[in-house]
Amino acid sequence: MGLYLPVGPQHPIHPEATLIKLKVEGEHVVDADIDASFVHRGIEKALERKTYVQGLFLAERICGICNVAHTTCYTLNVEGLAGIEVPQRALWLRLIVEELARVSSHLLWLGLLAHVVGFESLFMLAFRDREVVLDLMEEITGGRVTSGYNVIGGVRRDIDAATAYKIKSSLAKLKERVVKYRRLLEEDPIVRARTVGVGYLSPSEARELLAVGPVARASGIAYDIRVNDPYLVHEEVPFNPVVYDTCDAWGRAMVRVGEILESIEMIVYALDHAPSGEIRARVPPIFRPPPGENVTRVEAPRGELLHYVRSDGSEKPYRYKVRTPTLANLPAAISMLKSRGDRVVHIADVPVIFGSIDPCICCTARVLVVNEKGAAKEFQLDELAAKRWAR
Amino acid sequence: MIAEALRAFVYPGIAYMVALALLLEWLDRKIVARLQNRVGPYYAGPHGLLQPLADLIKLLAKEDVVPLGADGILFTLSPIAAFVVVTVAAAFVPLASTSGLVSAEGDAVAVLALITIYLLLVYTAGAASPSRYSQVGAVRAAHMLLGFEIPLMLSCLGVLASAGSFRLSELAARGSVRVFGLHAVGFAIFLIAAQAELERLPFDIPEAEQEIVSGWLVEYSSWRLALFRLARDIELLLLSGLAVTLFLGGPVGPSPPGAEPLLYPLYFIAKAALIVFLFSLVRASTARIRLDQFVTFCWRYLVPTSFAYFALAVLVA
Repeated sequence: MGLYLPVGPQHPIHPEATLIKLKVEGEHVVDADIDASFVHRGIEKALERKTYVQGLFLAERICGICNVAHTTCYTLNVEGLAGIEVPQRALWLRLIVEELARVSSHLLWLGLLAHVVGFESLFMLAFRDREVVLDLMEEITGGRVTSGYNVIGGVRRDIDAATAYKIKSSLAKLKERVVKYRRLLEEDPIVRARTVGVGYLSPSEARELLAVGPVARASGIAYDIRVNDPYLVHEEVPFNPVVYDTCDAWGRAMVRVGEILESIEMIVYALDHAPSGEIRARVPPIFRPPPGENVTRVEAPRGELLHYVRSDGSEKPYRYKVRTPTLANLPAAISMLKSRGDRVVHIADVPVIFGSIDPCICCTARVLVVNEKGAAKEFQLDELAAKRWAR
Repeated sequence: MIAEALRAFVYPGIAYMVALALLLEWLDRKIVARLQNRVGPYYAGPHGLLQPLADLIKLLAKEDVVPLGADGILFTLSPIAAFVVVTVAAAFVPLASTSGLVSAEGDAVAVLALITIYLLLVYTAGAASPSRYSQVGAVRAAHMLLGFEIPLMLSCLGVLASAGSFRLSELAARGSVRVFGLHAVGFAIFLIAAQAELERLPFDIPEAEQEIVSGWLVEYSSWRLALFRLARDIELLLLSGLAVTLFLGGPVGPSPPGAEPLLYPLYFIAKAALIVFLFSLVRASTARIRLDQFVTFCWRYLVPTSFAYFALAVLVA
């Protein structure tokens, strides 16, 4: 017999509404499932009722922390659909802000990891250091978190020499601290005891369950959209994707901390080498792209982010589809949460494992249509389109 | 009669104990906050000294909830009993002079027994709640007890055996410091076991906020929670007081002749603050270990070491 232990929808490990259904025997988790359908916000539907320029501001609000990744993806997607030429400098600036957002997101995650293993001090310090990045974000874009930096056709503001100097000196200080945190992850016996071997995801499983981002890279799969499908000026900015083959929560932590350092290098390189010129191509507030469709992939801090758009030639998208990295990683998380063979999952490991995929539920939530018997039903796109006004 | 009552309830009785316990809690919170680059308690009183008291009063003002399905009697009795048990135990510890409020031959053993009873009350408190998190937390607390109780007892008994007395007041009066040589081992074991007993990081496994919300404590609110928190503070006083008495020479220190009775409380506070500082240092620099890792650590290292320490202490004495 096992005890049903719900973790969520309200639980200290995760402020967002998600329910991890655990079946436990003593301290061991024998079965697990995740329900992420509490807060469906209907953003894809709402995007269909806005013009392309209005939609940008909605896309930015799909996720708070990854807002830059979402706007990068949205703008590239719509620009690709409408065939808008973006000035070179704008692409470099987008890359700088995107990497800065990655640093901010990974530092937040480092704090989250510290929190789930009960390391209060590291949590406080990681969040203190994140302030450095947020201040820089404010300096560059005007907003600390929701930046509103990318617009269709380019970016909103330029980075001048004084700001560039400030960014470089702040990041140099931040880098020292991050190196210190990396040493802490490598050496602290309790952090190692809590993360090494926890949440094992073998490379073959990671491939089979389509894990993306740091989760895949910690399982030895060198899959990074910035390398595999460069979307900004990644060919011109040197960087090494961080790959670990420990396949556990510790590896994921090391990947993320390594990526912070890589991102800092990338930002400094991009500040030095960005070409001068225009930062924005003027785009009319209402434009009508030709009928067609377009897909863009972006390496968000949490992994591969995919935006799809289909146009019917009007000023609004016919269909807009977002696949967030957390959704891609949920099957892997469910698989990791179950005890398999001699890999026992303890209750204490659950927050560590779930936290190790860096979950962001509000951008992931899906609607599940269930009939009275509890069976789920799937709908095809055309069916939904047909039901559009059938109330 | 009035003098007796004042002694029991005001100084060095319950009121003094509570005040001292809240002071130690403030010290702990402030040290940890500074180590984490925070300010810590700040607004209530000078440097936030009254913050623990303010927290208690706030809790008393909260709505009193007994969840459906809770065992009403145990749910009410556990916090009261926990508070009474630790207060009685603390009464044996010499806080303000070389003698405790109560003193008897063999009181050290009584204190150790009361500490174990407190842990059993933690278990009943969790088991009386209907929440699943409480159940898991209560079972975790019982598991932990298996790991650290023996080392805690043996490290105390080692000192008592080498001192040749089971009376805390007698140890305090002698004022001999035992943190060097063989007793350094006992001191280290006591500090580790005491942190497990206090459910502090890295051993706050039964409460583990991120795993089981607050464990056995999750359903308690209002005056019940206030009593548990106060009991936890007095337990901090009790264990740091025990460490002071057993290892740091009690409230005795160098003083001009005739001024000893005035200096005893100050020496005690200074030494207890030192112990709390060590506790805070550990709390601020560690993550939480897992239950199985804790029990393994105890039985593989802590228990054998404490047996060896006890045997050597007896042999040397």
